[in-house]
Amino acid sequence: MAQANLSRNERISGWVFIAPALVLLGVFMIYPIIWSLWMSFQVGKGMNFSFGGFTNIIRMTKDPVFIRALTNTLIFLVVQVPIMIFLALVFANALNDPSLRFRALFRTAIFLPCVTSLIAYSTLFKSMFAGDGVINKALLAVHIIAEPIAWFADPFWAKVVIILAITWRWTGYNMVFYLAAMQNIDRSIYEAARIDGVPAWARFRYLTIPMLKPVILFTTVISTIGTLQLFDEVYNFTAGTGGPSDSTLTLSLYIYNLTFKFMPSFGYAATVSWVIVVIVGILSFLQFLVARDRRPAA
Amino acid sequence: MSGLKLRGVRKSFGAIEVIKGVDLDIESKEFVVFVGPSGCGKSTLLRMIAGLEPITAGDLEIGGARMNDVDPSKRGIAMVFQTYALYPHMTVRENMGFALRFAGVAKPEIARQVDEAARILELGPLMNRRPKELSGGQRQRVAIGRAIVRHPQVFLFDEPLSNLDAELRVHMRIELARLHKELATTIIYVTHDQVEAMTLADKIVVLRDGSVAQVGTPLQLYDDPDNLFVAGFIGSPKMNFLSGVVAAGGSTVRLPDYGDQSIPVAALRSRPADGTPVTVGLRPDHFKRGGAAHLDLNVELIEHLGSETYAYARFGKGEVLTIATQNDRDLKAGARLAAHFDPASALLFDAAGQRIR
Repeated sequence: MAQANLSRNERISGWVFIAPALVLLGVFMIYPIIWSLWMSFQVGKGMNFSFGGFTNIIRMTKDPVFIRALTNTLIFLVVQVPIMIFLALVFANALNDPSLRFRALFRTAIFLPCVTSLIAYSTLFKSMFAGDGVINKALLAVHIIAEPIAWFADPFWAKVVIILAITWRWTGYNMVFYLAAMQNIDRSIYEAARIDGVPAWARFRYLTIPMLKPVILFTTVISTIGTLQLFDEVYNFTAGTGGPSDSTLTLSLYIYNLTFKFMPSFGYAATVSWVIVVIVGILSFLQFLVARDRRPAA
Repeated sequence: MSGLKLRGVRKSFGAIEVIKGVDLDIESKEFVVFVGPSGCGKSTLLRMIAGLEPITAGDLEIGGARMNDVDPSKRGIAMVFQTYALYPHMTVRENMGFALRFAGVAKPEIARQVDEAARILELGPLMNRRPKELSGGQRQRVAIGRAIVRHPQVFLFDEPLSNLDAELRVHMRIELARLHKELATTIIYVTHDQVEAMTLADKIVVLRDGSVAQVGTPLQLYDDPDNLFVAGFIGSPKMNFLSGVVAAGGSTVRLPDYGDQSIPVAALRSRPADGTPVTVGLRPDHFKRGGAAHLDLNVELIEHLGSETYAYARFGKGEVLTIATQNDRDLKAGARLAAHFDPASALLFDAAGQRIR
């Protein structure tokens, strides 16, 4: 009896201890999530809304700007994430070689962008890619181009700059995960492969990559989510327009514009937000499915 | 032709020299064991032969060709690591066949080779398992199998049994001896365990501080060590060392620490002068009833191993001596013991630790 009372007391004090955190989580995370789901079925402007059922979803399918934003986001995702993951793997592999000199310097240099202030680096990129910026000057000087590229005025090149920027910023972040994982691999595995005459590319392709599979899956999921929520770079580079002519508009920027820039349409913005949730869910599930540990038939 | 020749082989890491000039000849099909305490450079020497560590100076020949700068994969060697170094994401079959894929071997031929190695090592039922689903001994066999499929001229083993438990180690030792017979190739085997060295080797290379202390067959090293280090390292339990002084024109050694007892020693060619300080080496199993010489000792401790009884005995200030008593089960701690031995079995070493013959 006494013991039951005691454990009950302990249970109560346990709940008391976590209650503040739970309350905050509930008020600032769980409630808004549920509220946004409810909102996504509301129609109307500003605070003046009513239940609209699937009206928002139907509106979405007929909204060219939404389709545009979705397409742009998926292009960023499909092009940028694989490039970044591959680069991060290659850098990590190179920096993991103990015979490389100045390893610490390179490691820091590649990691630094992801802790750099967003505004500082956006400003820098904007000036570098300006009409008379250093990039154009350099390309002109080595005769790769005949006249300056209008980076931010051309729909294609604007996308390229965004992809370059986020790749520059996040490659080091992913690389650090790979480096950490690589340092846990027994070095004799590579020595055994060297003695067995396995060429360097095959050691990378058939040993390193499979052994890093869990980490690659993790970073891919994280990067996919990050890219689907892409907002900061586009906002800063294009002064919030997603221009030229919506060519860099992402889903997150569109949500922002729907909510705070245009005549507020909270319900519709919430619906678009849930599109990101659904895509993240589907893609993460697919990635886990692909990376599942498949045993050969015994 | 798969012998090895090492001439003046040296290795430095920065200013620190870890291999200090090794000369060694290894015959084709020989089972050679590098043995020595940790830090003696035995693994480094093996890794230099494998090509995993560059050779700072000297020459390495395998099968008559200079190999100093040849890629590890082209030296005709295969190596088994202490940690097994199996590819964790591959099955046993894939582990064993992996190297052959890059050697331009056709798939059916790979399968045939792998099956052949699996037969030799009795790995048949495990072929589709991953390394983590295998026991230590099984992993070790897979690592050996991965080496076998490449048909190397020389097998290199780097402390392959260190991660196994005592019972399995004995079992694998016998397996390795059998394998050496069946494969008929040169084997270089690194261990810190002198029992492994004694039981497996055709030839033992004892290393100390980056230099060869002595090379010989197991029994040569046991019976006729060149120096105190080899005498102390080879043999279990260890050889007893008694410090003494040569007396009576070289025919006896006086032992001041053992109450000035004198023991006769066999005549030596080098005739050390009276008063020369020496160390007398006596193996525990050199003490035999009926030996012409004896030491008077007090028994401190008795160890019964069943087949053998060890007495730990001392006299005066002297070190405790280990004596194999030929299973004298009646011996009690505290008893006096006249430990007899044949004077010819006592080995003498000079102050520098070199054998006086």
